[in-house]
This record gives sequence, C-alpha cells and structure tokens, in this order.
Amino acid sequence: MALNLRIDPLGPERSTLYLEGRLDAMSFGEFDKEADKVLEQMANGSTLVLDLSALDYISSAGLRSIAKARKTMRARDGHTLLVNPQMQVRKVFDIVKAVPVKEIFENVRELDDYLDRIQRKVLDGGDEVE
Amino acid sequence: MPLRSLAWRLALWVLAGATLVFLASGYLLFRMVGHPLLEQAQREAGALASQGSSLVQERLDDITNTSRVLASVIGPRPLDTAPLIHDALAGNADIASLAAAFVPASAAAHEAGQSPFVSRQSDGTLARRDLFKDPQPYWNAAWFQQGLACEQGCWHAVFWSQSRHRLLVSYSAPMLVDGKAIGVINADITLDWLQGVLSSMHLPAGTRAFVIDQAGTYLANDAVDEVGRKADAALLDQLKTPANPHQLTLHGEPAWIYDQPIHGTQWKLILVVPEALIYAQVRHAFMSVLVLGALTLLLLGLIVMVTIRRTLTPLGVLAERAEQVARGALDFVLPPVRRHDEIGRLTHAFDRMRLELATHLQELTRVAQEQARLASELDIAQQIQTALLPGPHYLDARCHNFELFAVLKPARTVGGDLYSYFMLPNQRFCFMVGDVADKGIPAALFMARTITLAKAMASRAQSPQQLLQLINEELCRHNDSCMFVTLLCGFLDVATGQLTLASAGHDPPALWGNHAPRWLPVVSGPALGLDEDASFPAMRMRLKPGDTLLAYTDGVTEAANKAMEQYGGDRLLATLGQFHDAGDESAHRDPAKFLVEDVEAFSTGHGQSDDIALIALRWNHAGLDKGTPMLDLVFPASLEKVFETLDLCEETLREAGLRHDVRADVRLVLEELMVNMVHHGSPSAGESIIGLRMTVVKEAVLVELNHDGAPFDPLQFGSPTLTGDLADRDDDGGLGIHLVRAMSSELNYTHDEDGNHLQLRFAHPTEHGHGT
Repeated sequence: MALNLRIDPLGPERSTLYLEGRLDAMSFGEFDKEADKVLEQMANGSTLVLDLSALDYISSAGLRSIAKARKTMRARDGHTLLVNPQMQVRKVFDIVKAVPVKEIFENVRELDDYLDRIQRKVLDGGDEVE
Repeated sequence: MPLRSLAWRLALWVLAGATLVFLASGYLLFRMVGHPLLEQAQREAGALASQGSSLVQERLDDITNTSRVLASVIGPRPLDTAPLIHDALAGNADIASLAAAFVPASAAAHEAGQSPFVSRQSDGTLARRDLFKDPQPYWNAAWFQQGLACEQGCWHAVFWSQSRHRLLVSYSAPMLVDGKAIGVINADITLDWLQGVLSSMHLPAGTRAFVIDQAGTYLANDAVDEVGRKADAALLDQLKTPANPHQLTLHGEPAWIYDQPIHGTQWKLILVVPEALIYAQVRHAFMSVLVLGALTLLLLGLIVMVTIRRTLTPLGVLAERAEQVARGALDFVLPPVRRHDEIGRLTHAFDRMRLELATHLQELTRVAQEQARLASELDIAQQIQTALLPGPHYLDARCHNFELFAVLKPARTVGGDLYSYFMLPNQRFCFMVGDVADKGIPAALFMARTITLAKAMASRAQSPQQLLQLINEELCRHNDSCMFVTLLCGFLDVATGQLTLASAGHDPPALWGNHAPRWLPVVSGPALGLDEDASFPAMRMRLKPGDTLLAYTDGVTEAANKAMEQYGGDRLLATLGQFHDAGDESAHRDPAKFLVEDVEAFSTGHGQSDDIALIALRWNHAGLDKGTPMLDLVFPASLEKVFETLDLCEETLREAGLRHDVRADVRLVLEELMVNMVHHGSPSAGESIIGLRMTVVKEAVLVELNHDGAPFDPLQFGSPTLTGDLADRDDDGGLGIHLVRAMSSELNYTHDEDGNHLQLRFAHPTEHGHGT
C-alpha cells in the first residue's frame, strides 16, 4: 500500500492534493514530484489544500515534504491548509507541532467557510485575519 | 602400698643384702669359733672327770694306806692288833669297819689270840668281835683268800652285810712277815660313803657321775637306787671301746660319756654330760651372735630407712607435684633445695619445666582461643559468602522459559569458586561461573569482590564481553597480589533464547539437547585481574528448546580418586551423556546435582581437593504461546529491504491482533530508526547489515535492532526546537528521533564492537483503550 496522489482541482488560485496511503521515506519522492508540479503553477496568495482523509500514515520524511511545500507556498504569500488528518497523522503532527492548529480542518466544508471568510476580508478591507 | 615407695624398696634391698652378708659372716664365724668352743667344753668335761677320779682316789688312798700301814705294823707285832685296829678305825671316819684276820694256826694267830673285827655302829660307837668266833670260818671266804694272794692289796666285790644291812666294799692288804702272808687286814667302806665322796664333787647341773667296779656294778651313783646294781649293757659295751669320750644315747637323751680309771683300783669314774650341755656354750655363742646380728641389722635398717627417706623425701614431693602437673595444676610449692645433688638439680629443672609449661599452656590457650575465634569468623565468612550467592535453583517465574540449577561446594569452609545469576533490564538474564586462583580466605575475598563487582557492573554492560571488560578493569586496580579469576559469563535473552557467551580464561561449557553433550567452542580471553587492556571475544548462539548448557569449574574435571586419576573432561561428557540418555526423565531432574554426585562417588576416599561450582541452564522455551508472532531477520541496510521488513512487521503484528495505532507506532519508530541506519550506514564502503528481532509478549512488543554501522546513539540528541510550524525550521533533522522517543515506551541503546544495539519496547494494553 504505497502512496496514491490525485489533484483536483488544479488551479493557480487554489489547488487540492489528495493523499492516500503512506507518506514515508519510500514515497515522499513521489509526493515531492507531484507537489512541485502543483506548486509551479500556483499564483501569489493562492491556497494549497492537502486532503489527508485517506492518508493512513506519515513519517518524518513525509513531514519534511509537507514542510517543504509549505515553505514554497509561504514564499508566495500563499497558504497550505490541511484537511481531515487521520489519527496516526494527527498524532505525529501533534508530537512535532507541525502545523498551526487553525490551518487544520475537519472537512472540506469547514475549509470552504474559512476560505470564504478570508475572501470577504480581502474584498472588504484587505486585512488579513489571523 | 608402702612397698611401692622407692625409699622402702631401697631400704629393703639394703637390708636384704646386709642380712645376707651377716648370715654368711655369722656362719663363717660360727664355724671358726664353734669348734674350739666345743673342744673346750669337752676338755672341761674331761678335766671334771679326772678331777672326780682323783678325789675318789685320794680318799681311797687314805684307806689303802691305813690298811697297809696296819698290815705292816701288825705283822711283826700281832699282840697289839686289837687296840691298833680300834684306834685306826676311830681315827679314820671314812672306814666303816676294820678287821685283822690271821691265817689260822699261824704263829701270829697264836700271838694275837684273836682276829679282831671292829665296826662302826650306826650310832657312831665302835663294836668289836673276834672273827674266830664267827660261825662261818672266814679263812675259807673269798675276800680272805684273795687278800692273801694280792701282795699290794686289792679291792673286792660289793657285798651285802647281813649284820649291818648295808652294801659294802672291802679292801684287803696282806700282812707279810718275811715275805710270807700271815693274815689280812680288811677294811670295809660303805657305798653310802663312796656316794658321799662322789656328791662332794659339786657337778654342774644336768651332769651325772657314777663309779663302777670291774664287774660293771655301780658303786656310787647320782641315782641312789642304782647303787649295787649292774650297769646297762649298752653302756658297758661302749666303755670297752677305746674312744674317750663316748657318745651314747642314755634314757633317750644323747650324751657324752667320759670314763676315768681310779688308780689303785679297777674302778672307773664315769661322767655323763648331756650333749645339750656340751653344746650349750656353742649355742650360747651362736645365739649371742644371732641376737647381736639382729640388733645390728635392726639398727642398720633404721639408719638406712631414715637416711633414704630423708634423702628421697624431696623426690616423693616431686613425684606428687608431677602428678599435679599431669592433672593440670601448676601452682604449687616445691621442696627447698638443700644440696646441689641430683635431686637438687631435678627440683630446679622441675621448677623451670613448670614455668615453661605454664607459659606454654598460656600460649596454647591463647592460640586455641585464637583458633576458635578464627573458626567462628570462618563460619560467619561462610554464611556471608553463601549469602552472596543466589539460590541453587531458579525457574523463570514469568514464562518458564528456562530453568537454572547451580551447585557450589567449597573444598574448605570458604572457597574461591563462584556462580551468580540475576535478571537485567530488557528481558536479559545474566549468569556466570568463575574460579579464583588459590583457595581459602584470600580466594573467598577475591571471589566476593568479583561477584559484587559483577552485580554492580552488569546494569552498565550490554553484553557479557563488556561486563568482563568492566570487571577486569576494576580487578586490575591495585591488584599487587596478582590474584586472578577465570569467569564464564553469559547473557540470555529470556524471550528468544538468544545467548551470548564470553569467557575470561575459563573452561568451555558443555551443551546438549537434540544432540549428545559436546563442548561449546568459546574462544577465551585472558583471566580477569591480570591485563587491564584485555578484551574478550563473544560467542552468540540461539538455544533450541530442550538445550541445556553446563558451565563448571576445574574442581570437577580435576577431582581425583584414590588412584590419583583425574575425573577429566571425557568422563564429564560421558556422565552428561548418561543424563541425556535418561531421556524425558531427566527433563525435570537436576543435571548439576547428578554430576556432583557422580564426581563425589568418583573421588570417594580421596576427599575434595578443590572447590566445585556448577551451573546448568536449561532452555525450555515453554513460555511463548503457540503462534505468537515473532520475527528474527537479518538484511542489508537498503531502503527496499527496510520497507519490505516494515511491511512484514506490520503484517506480523496485525496477525498477532495488535491494534492499528500500536502497529502504526511500531512502524513509524522502526522506519525512522532503520532509515537512519541506511543513511548513516557503515563508514566503510561495504553495505551494512541490519538485524531485527521482534517479539510480542504480554502487553508489549519487544524489538531489538542491531546495526553494524558507525556508532549512533539516538538518545544523545536533545529535543528539537519546535515552533509550532515545521515550515519555520531551516533544517529538518532530529524530527525522526524525536518521534522515535515519543512513540516507544522504552528505548535502550548500546554500542559494542559489533555495532549499535537498540532495544525497544512498545506497550500494547489488551483492554480497549488508547495506549499512548
């Protein structure tokens, strides 16, 4: 059971990457390659969503890949948001304090609401809500 | 009892000797003096006899002279016959009667006119008569005829006078005129008178005297009754022999008889002296000598007794003191030393001996107390030594995976052999058997040091070879006496049966199970305590169920019997073979005890010369449930192999029924560690090897990871800085180790010459609930 990746949708403003299986020292290369493909076309201030609903397992190698992706997005003033991490993954994230809690969402709807709020704030005052 | 005394015996011997000398000299003296004394007695008796004879002769001579004078006077003048005779009788009281008898019809007879006879009456008056007028003519009588015949006069036989009622004896002397006998002068004497003469002799008491005439008739005798009778025939016979004196037994009494003729007569005076009287003087002398000798002896005895007793008294006291010494009493007073003779020297020597003995006894008592104290200390030391050892039987209580039997038999109270065993963290069981060079107390102390060090160091050591190294370093310190100990040490993984052995100069152990007993070729390092830089090779093996490992000290193989043969390794293997062949029965028996009993039987009569220590470890492998998943893998350190292994582990754990989250934790930790191993592989070009062993026990998963790569201790890193966003970090190192530490319940790291060793434990509660 290796890693399966699916990108839907792929767009400069918002892309979502579905991860399924294990992200470990064996499979992080695949993820990096896929992520690079997505990140290439991301615009400044865009949002990358990683859907972890089907990710069973992550190890430190996987953490490093996710951190790399986040760094790239940060460099572009973008966001990397995580959706629905499973128990093991969440445990690992907790242990290494991988991601700010507000950037992890239970499901896509929560995420959409969050993104809508941001959208409105940008339109209203251009302030960014932390 | 007194005869046991030396003084008494000495005195007796001296007295006995003196008595012997006295008797001998007394006898000689008696022989020399006795004979002259006897002769003198005989001479005296003879003299008495001749004196008596002279006395009688003298008196008789008076009578014969008177008669002869009368005869010579009357012959020429017969006329005065009667008055002459009368006067002569009146003048001589000795004569009883006088008669002048003439030959009848002779001239003289005519001239005299009578033959007068004058006799003395009993009243003393003199009576006269004429013999011519007697009815019996006298001229035919024997006395007259004989009187005429003997010119010199002669004595006649005894006759009884009818007129005077007396025994008389008469003397006749012829009256000669011109050579012709004209008549006879006859004088009578009474035997009473003769008796009186004899009595005047004043004989000594007991002596008898008598006079006998030529016919053997007693004329006088002490025994008056005998007078006039015939003497004893035996006596008369004896008197005829020429010997003088004669020896004869008279009236049952031996006597000496002296006969002495009385001159002028044919009579004899006989003196009878009883032999007792003769010998009286001799006996007296003998008795005197005897009494004197006895007195001398008595006196000598007294002097000897007193002298010897006085001289030997200190000896008696010494003997008594010596008996006291024998009873143990040394405090007494010795007799004062008067002289420096043998006894004085003995007393001095005795005193010195007593003092020496007292000092010696004191010393002995002190030594005995010292020895008792040492013995009690040794007993305590033995208790302490015994307390250092764990029990002789150990059964793994948790899972009955193994069983251990041990025996320790010191040759003396305490010994230098040792065995020990104890549990270490991470399911490891440490055991050892050792033998300190030398025996007795030094060895026991060194043994105590070794066993204590081993216990203290074991928690720091990750392998037996390392433990040996640690003990060795400690023992080498200040080991000026160059004591050393051989030690065989083993670490057993009680979950898997994995055994690591290391030997420091110790005999190799024996192993049996599915095969017959054989030696286990453990390569040995040097003995502990000699070379502080020593290192010890390890031998690894996996025990199979039913295997028994036996480690021993050379007290077993070097046990000797009476013929001085050694027990030896071959016999040891053979004995273990017997034990092994006993089959299932042996499964629950004690191989150590079996072997020790065999060794004892072998060395019966010779005694145990060296300490014996034995440890037998039986691997049952009984505690693992059937079907419990277990992995033991060795593979090259590559990512592919690592992930294959991870999948295998995951599958195994899933089959074992472990919860998903635990499985994930295990996988994460193993991945992090093994990927690290792949990346930080061997510094040399070659591919490094990873060994993984995973065991599921109750409520835990145990994993051991071995890697022959460069040393890498995951515990040495501190916690990474965590900002809350991994994207903040410049480097991404340390996360994996952080995860490892967070996820595993227990983590141990060791490094030795074989590389890195990690022991991990993951708790997995069986109840439904979250583990970590």
